[in-house]
Amino acid sequence: MNIHEYQAKQILSRNGIKIPKGKIAYTANEARQAAKAVTAKGPWMLKAQIQSGARAVGHFLEKRAGSRGGIRMVENLKDLWTEADAMLGSTLVTKQTGPQGKQVSRLYVEAYTRVGFTFYAGMAIDRVQASVTLLLANTKDDDINTIAESDPGRILRLPLDLVTGPTHAQTGKAAEFLKLQPRSYDSFYLFLRGMFKTFIANDALMIEINPAGVMKNGDIVALDAKITLDDKALYRHPENLRLKDDYETGARELKAAKYGFTYHEFDGSIGCIVNGEGLAMAMSDLIKQRGSNVACWLNVKGGVDRDKIAAGIKIIVTNPRVEGIVINILGGFVRCDLIADGIIDAAAEVGMNIPLVVRFEGTNRDEAENILKRAGLPLTLARNMEDAADEILKAVQEGM
Amino acid sequence: MSILAGKNTKVLVQGMTGTQASFHTKRSLDYGTNIVAGVTPGKGGITHLGLPVFDSVKEAVKETGATASMIFVPAKAVKSAIAEAAEAELELAVCISDNVPIRDMLEIRNILKNGKTRLIGPNTPGLITPGEARLGIFPENIHTPGKIGIVSRSSTLTYEAVLETRRAGLGQSTVIGLGDDMVIGMNFADVLAEFMNDDDTKAIVMIGQLGGNFEELGADWYRSSSVKKPVIGFVAGNSQAFSSTVGYAGDIITRGKITAEDKKKALADAGMTVVEQINRVHDELQKLKL
Repeated sequence: MNIHEYQAKQILSRNGIKIPKGKIAYTANEARQAAKAVTAKGPWMLKAQIQSGARAVGHFLEKRAGSRGGIRMVENLKDLWTEADAMLGSTLVTKQTGPQGKQVSRLYVEAYTRVGFTFYAGMAIDRVQASVTLLLANTKDDDINTIAESDPGRILRLPLDLVTGPTHAQTGKAAEFLKLQPRSYDSFYLFLRGMFKTFIANDALMIEINPAGVMKNGDIVALDAKITLDDKALYRHPENLRLKDDYETGARELKAAKYGFTYHEFDGSIGCIVNGEGLAMAMSDLIKQRGSNVACWLNVKGGVDRDKIAAGIKIIVTNPRVEGIVINILGGFVRCDLIADGIIDAAAEVGMNIPLVVRFEGTNRDEAENILKRAGLPLTLARNMEDAADEILKAVQEGM
Repeated sequence: MSILAGKNTKVLVQGMTGTQASFHTKRSLDYGTNIVAGVTPGKGGITHLGLPVFDSVKEAVKETGATASMIFVPAKAVKSAIAEAAEAELELAVCISDNVPIRDMLEIRNILKNGKTRLIGPNTPGLITPGEARLGIFPENIHTPGKIGIVSRSSTLTYEAVLETRRAGLGQSTVIGLGDDMVIGMNFADVLAEFMNDDDTKAIVMIGQLGGNFEELGADWYRSSSVKKPVIGFVAGNSQAFSSTVGYAGDIITRGKITAEDKKKALADAGMTVVEQINRVHDELQKLKL
């Protein structure tokens, strides 16, 4: 689960990391009040709270939002109100949002903080080493994306001990790497400890502070922050569960989550229902190899039954991109006859009017295929995955 | 012959009295797996499915001589269950449980670092040595004893790979699902090493997928291995980079964004045969004329 910048900053701040003074606002009037509460005199930063990187260099779809990006510096309260009003309700497009962008419903109003040197600080899971690893890079000349792609040698990686966290020795090494002045050392140590504490205490999967800045007095301040939390550990942190922004998730994904499914959308026309992520990927690869693309996939995971498959079909048909559905259910314990009943239930309920291809492998497969044949639904039975991909593309083609 | 577990492996089941665990323990028993005990804290002394239940792994090991464990406990209890298996110095723990917090897995890997217990999973269909032992939830009816070793991160694609060996008229020596969590126990490299040392395994099918760089490490291991049985590789996730992450840190850790295409190249460069579609695996198996 991702959380917003202002939420991430609040958590980091509670763990001893210095952040600029800021307040959240949902309207232009609130933004003005927030600005006054934060600092008597500008400039201020207006920051669109959508869960995406590269907001500053993004653009808004609406003309009324103007040509500037999702992070704006304003000098006086009048401009602040105008800019806030333009940004709120408008749609911000970044490299990470996709072309449809995300609507900005809240702004974080921050006191502008003057810093000299800036750097990237990240903590993430190294899957191979099974450790939390600290990542640091000097971002004075290039942004982290450029460095990561062109010159990864300029990134310092320090695997952290799960029990002790960043040690004094590691902090010293890191400070030297970034060429920090000695007067920043204490603040830098607390900064790294704060990141690690936040990471462990909240079951984070990733924290990025990009950029962190060094203030005139040598203190380190987090100017931006991203935190990804481990969904599987949210039960240990009911306070973090409240940070979930349902708008960011999307209606179909939310509905899928209610049944324990995962759901992803893409820009093709075929809807896939499968029971496994690898199977989902392999299925979309096959469709891609045949010159088409998937609109979405729904992973109904293990333990799929009659009601679950019906619920899955009902979710997927609400996606307007879907022109045909392929159901590929595989496994030894899935009772295919029950799945067939579920398909018939859903088809009757939604008045299925698009092509459907079904591929079963599992217990009672023949019986299931007979059930579907008898039901007289407009569907095709496939023997294997390739066959299923061929059939659904053929059916969609003919339907046009 | 087989790797990691066979007909002589004495198996205990942690969390055996649960509903899912009971169902699968019974199936594994029917399959012929040498299950000797169950462990459920607080239920020691009872008999379940005709097997003695103990309060702790240590007791169960002392009384029955079990060397492997199949773990079916709830996600919250996985960390202590695996720790217990490690403390009892079991040789193998297969963790079927899903939804294990990543931080727990980091701690588990720390615990396992200096011990002798090898972990498969979590979030895996487990391990099956056809005709001998089933430690997990594999559908037993699709498997036949044979010479192909299968190792996969995805559970459903494991079944697909098994069906491919069947299409080629071959059976399996041992089939292992590594589990598809962010942090897992054994890896491609570990399992490949076992298969290379197993006389009855003549070729291996390796199924990878997008995310992390376990496939690359498996390929590196294979390149430097002195024993080289044929490996047929497939990697899912070619069609799109789908990612819900908002940061760069993940890509930095793997030293760059890794696509399925990159993974396939790594496998091919190491000398493995890479198929573009999983349904082509049987063709390549037939070419080997095993």
